[in-house]
Amino acid sequence: MSSRYAVLPCNGLDKSVGCIAREIALGLVDRSESDLICPVLFRVSDARYSKMAAEKPLLVIDGCSTRCASKLAAEKGLKVAKKITVTEEVKNRNVKVGKSLKLGDSELELAGSVVEELLKEEKKEESAAGHEFSTITYDYEIYKKDKFIFRVPRTGFYFNENDCWVVVEGNRARVGVADYVQQSLSDIMFFTPPAIGAEIEQFGELGSIESGKAVFEVISPVSGVVTAVNENLISAPELINENPYEKGWIAELELTDFESDKEFLLDFEGYFKVLKRKVDEFHV
Amino acid sequence: MSEETFMGVPRSRIDWCPTIDYEKCNYCMDCDKFCPHNVFEVRENEEKKLIVKNPHNCVVFCRACGKTCGLDALSFPDKSATTKKIKEVRKELESNE
Repeated sequence: MSSRYAVLPCNGLDKSVGCIAREIALGLVDRSESDLICPVLFRVSDARYSKMAAEKPLLVIDGCSTRCASKLAAEKGLKVAKKITVTEEVKNRNVKVGKSLKLGDSELELAGSVVEELLKEEKKEESAAGHEFSTITYDYEIYKKDKFIFRVPRTGFYFNENDCWVVVEGNRARVGVADYVQQSLSDIMFFTPPAIGAEIEQFGELGSIESGKAVFEVISPVSGVVTAVNENLISAPELINENPYEKGWIAELELTDFESDKEFLLDFEGYFKVLKRKVDEFHV
Repeated sequence: MSEETFMGVPRSRIDWCPTIDYEKCNYCMDCDKFCPHNVFEVRENEEKKLIVKNPHNCVVFCRACGKTCGLDALSFPDKSATTKKIKEVRKELESNE
């Protein structure tokens, strides 16, 4: 019954995409049992909305990548069930949005079609269970800096210099992010999975994860076709913070050319050096 | 910093950094505040108040600053073209050894 949301839109009144975010929120409230959270009032008074957000799954609607609504949700410690960004929707639909703050026909149509999709969505189940990677052993080397602990598994994992890992069994691969990513982002509140069946090139984007601080694009260490995503992360993205190598894995792929991908990957020793340098230089 | 490499290739030979679209940029400087690698520089007294000062500090394949930009004013090179280039340079370096 997730056609009922607590809707937190950005309501950015000085930008057309913000006005569209508002329109989408109004449409949802109008056409389903959803409740509206006013971001302006929410900022100054929790009492009214915190209960509402606890009762229904929270849908965050950002207008643009300034992500004001997401940041507000992070600030208030809310769990995000679903999230959309209007600029992304605009891109995906290949429509043009004017600068005017008064919504015209095409903007209203866009808002309407996003509402439509959100209300339909729950029926589509993208279920593809992960494969058992029986050969993985989890044995970590630890690098410490102040209160931060960075784990790196000693065997079986390959890494790219963008802090993503891969484990391979036959022609199957499981991919995730390294501890450095989750420590840098701090509390991860949202996971955007890659599409099942998508063909990904090495270093292509394999979904993204996001915290109040930033959005991190998962940079695929291997090329292949996405066969599964870690569905648990959709409702519990904090699993990535708990352990990004185990329950916090991101996706699985069927490999297309691992032998050649491998030339561009680091083993434990290589990555541990890179990690130490990054932590020493950038982690404050 | 001249020996900086990325995947075995000198960083200076990889063309990867953000490009600022000055038609869109409103100098909010969110990207500069975000980037820990000192890629940008703020120049308060000049017409272009923000420039890409250290393109080679930019982490190859990272587009995170672009995701902070509400106006979508930052763009990046094509990833697969960059990967191809890195592979070519690697081959070239290997054959020179």
